[in-house]
Amino acid sequence: MKQLKQTAVIIILLLGLQANAQEKKYAFSIKGDMGIWYEGYGLDKNPNPAVPDFYSARKPWNLVRYSFNPTFSVGKWEIPMNFNFSPMITNFTTPAGTKQSVWQFLTNPANNFGLRPKIGTTELLLGTQTLKYSDLSTGDLGVFGYGLNLSPGKFRIKLFKGVSQSSVNYEAPTLPNPDGVIGAYQRKQWMAQLGLEKEGSYFTGFNFVKSIDKRNSVSSPPLSPIDPQENMVVTFLTTANSENGWKYHMELGQSFHTLNLNTPLSSVPVEDFKPFIDAHISSSKDNAVLLGIAKKGQDWEIGTKFKYFGAGYFTAGYPFMNNDLIDYLIDARFNAWKKKMNVVASIGERFGNLSRTSGPDKTRQIIANVNVFTQFSDRLSLNLSFNNFGYNAPDLSGYKSVSNELSVNPSYSWSSTKMSHLISATYTKSTYDETIIFVTTHNNTQTALLLYVPTFFDKKISPDFSLMWFKNTAPSIDLTLVTASSGMKWKVNQKFNLKGQLQYNLTTMKPFTANKNLLATAGYEWEIYKKLSWQFSMTANVFKFGTELPGNSLIPIYSGNPQYFETTMRTGLLYKF
Amino acid sequence: MKRYNLTAALGFFLIIQIAQSQITVNLALNSRPQPWLSQWVNPINGQMIITYMQGPVQGDAQVKLRTTLLDESGSIIGASNINASRVYTLKVGVNLFTMADALQLQNLVLSGKVQNTLQRTGRLIAGQYQLKVEVVNVSGDVVFARQTHPFFITSYQLPKLMVPADGTELDARVAQSLITFRWTGLIPNTSELPTYRVQVFEILPGQTPMQAFRGNYPILDEPALHGMTQYVWRTNLPMLDNTANQKFIWTVQTLDMEGHPIPSNDMNIQGRSEPAVFTIINQMGAGDKNKKNED
Repeated sequence: MKQLKQTAVIIILLLGLQANAQEKKYAFSIKGDMGIWYEGYGLDKNPNPAVPDFYSARKPWNLVRYSFNPTFSVGKWEIPMNFNFSPMITNFTTPAGTKQSVWQFLTNPANNFGLRPKIGTTELLLGTQTLKYSDLSTGDLGVFGYGLNLSPGKFRIKLFKGVSQSSVNYEAPTLPNPDGVIGAYQRKQWMAQLGLEKEGSYFTGFNFVKSIDKRNSVSSPPLSPIDPQENMVVTFLTTANSENGWKYHMELGQSFHTLNLNTPLSSVPVEDFKPFIDAHISSSKDNAVLLGIAKKGQDWEIGTKFKYFGAGYFTAGYPFMNNDLIDYLIDARFNAWKKKMNVVASIGERFGNLSRTSGPDKTRQIIANVNVFTQFSDRLSLNLSFNNFGYNAPDLSGYKSVSNELSVNPSYSWSSTKMSHLISATYTKSTYDETIIFVTTHNNTQTALLLYVPTFFDKKISPDFSLMWFKNTAPSIDLTLVTASSGMKWKVNQKFNLKGQLQYNLTTMKPFTANKNLLATAGYEWEIYKKLSWQFSMTANVFKFGTELPGNSLIPIYSGNPQYFETTMRTGLLYKF
Repeated sequence: MKRYNLTAALGFFLIIQIAQSQITVNLALNSRPQPWLSQWVNPINGQMIITYMQGPVQGDAQVKLRTTLLDESGSIIGASNINASRVYTLKVGVNLFTMADALQLQNLVLSGKVQNTLQRTGRLIAGQYQLKVEVVNVSGDVVFARQTHPFFITSYQLPKLMVPADGTELDARVAQSLITFRWTGLIPNTSELPTYRVQVFEILPGQTPMQAFRGNYPILDEPALHGMTQYVWRTNLPMLDNTANQKFIWTVQTLDMEGHPIPSNDMNIQGRSEPAVFTIINQMGAGDKNKKNED
């Protein structure tokens, strides 16, 4: 009932705005686009059925999405809309029942129904909004609700209230739904930002984000460990830019988190945070810090970032955020050799398990990469890159992994009066050593790619050709993949473009014979009218297994080689206002 | 004064009677309980059984519990405040309690560092501990029964996604055939190797990465070879349509031997690592439309 009220408030506000706009008969304009997009997927397997199921469908059979993204201008009002939604349920990481109510449809994370009417320094936020306040408070999630942004003078006031997860009842696994539905509590979220800003110069202010799972929002609650949670984050954020290229960033945050609202109220282990949080026995409180400084010159830039996230720092605005870590990162970019060389490099180190709750020692992670691009002449260029990732968890069993990757990519181009040519080659060698329980495995890959792109100056056809070779060796793995691919664009006329691509793969896992795979795609873009365009593409993928999957290993026994045929049809109509 | 003496004598007599009756305590504590102490109410952590065999005097026995938490070396790191302990009335026979009742977290006074970790994380530092529970009389000066039980506590840290790292751009001519995924192993190691499922979601035009992650069906949801932290995805995807196959978000879901998500320190309890986004560049005909997905 509350949800319906909330929806009604949003709709009334919207209608009120539009009615107001009509009454005053202000000049009206609209720009933006709208479209409908459909994808049909098909899969035929031979043999079918078979045990084990050797290939699973990787897309829904049918998927329709609508988009409606106009910006209405009515006098001084500007009303951007962002509607992007599907009537189908495709949720995977978030629970959704087999049917959804109107409220669940509106609040489904797959859908977006957002409006931001603005006049002067006042902005209303209605419907789905993905609001980024800061890195420690909120910025990741779409929340369906209503709010306000005010920016009188230097003051910045932002308020928003909404729902980031609608309630879903738990359903036990039964036929015809053997997975059941894990269920979810409705999560309400409040956000506020109070600050001072001079655009391009500085911002300083406080962020507040609170979320609470409504225990009575479900008639059949999810089973533990999915328990109702409560979270509150307060952060202080300051950013500043100086006229001589310095940038500063600082954010300090504290979070209060209750793991399970069903646990008893208690001032142990943490006390209440009045008036926002009544502490439970499962409540915790922790801190986070973000610091950054950067300097930009004419041909160079360097910066460093530091962050600390305590093991109990949570925010509903970034529900997948890693915590219990300290890390620093140094980034640099500069041009050299008469601006013919561009270097981008970064190095960082991260320490985890600071709380020691996952073992007796800290974990250590190193990330380093450098990319050097050099334009030797108009014809020849070279790109070199090197990446290193290392991870070390010196607990009793000593987990360790080190990944090194070197990539070399020269490109050469030349041209005549009729056409130009581009040849590009890439070789990448990657080593990955992993130690688990004192045993080290070496997992190496090599990739070689050769690309040729001719461009005809007086023809409407643009082809390209590529050859790729890939090898992966590891204990019990010796995998080779060879791909030949060719694509072509044909500009039939000013309004009609044809595209096609053909790809042939041979995948060999020793000692088996090769799997063979042919993938063909064709499509077009047609500008039907000046504002209306139609895109269409059709892909067919035939995959035939070698002896890696012998037919006699399946039930029922199949005499030939198993294979599958996959088709994908995509089409979309786009209208620009 | 006489009345006082009589009451004291009667009380002493009752204590003697209860002492003569038999009270036993049995801590059936899971040797690896949940790391969040507030979750010890869940049956998975075990239960405490107090058996009361009646003595010559009829009636229920009133008792309190005194809880002591010891570290591996036997040093006391926390103890309950007996004055604030709840009074239980034992019925004759078997009395069942949760491990939360045995632990008395609300009433547990912990030493500085342990208290600090508990306040910040709701957990204890990983390691071996001992839980000692004593059944005492209401004033706390007579111990009827006691038991000490060791337990090991640890919480898991989910894998970190390494390759492709967040924000990586992959060349379409390679990505159309394969993409290699790498991640770190589960920390700490488990006695049984976990299963890692690689899950990739396409970010459709107009969607934010997290919207795609939370709302879309995955284009890839496959287990890596048992115990391996690498997966080579043979993509078989066309790379010429400027509305498709341009931007993806991926994660690894870590499952135990029974296929349940590994409990870890996150808000989602799904065993899914913090996701990372990668983009496929140099697609045929994509050109500046590569930016279409960017929000």
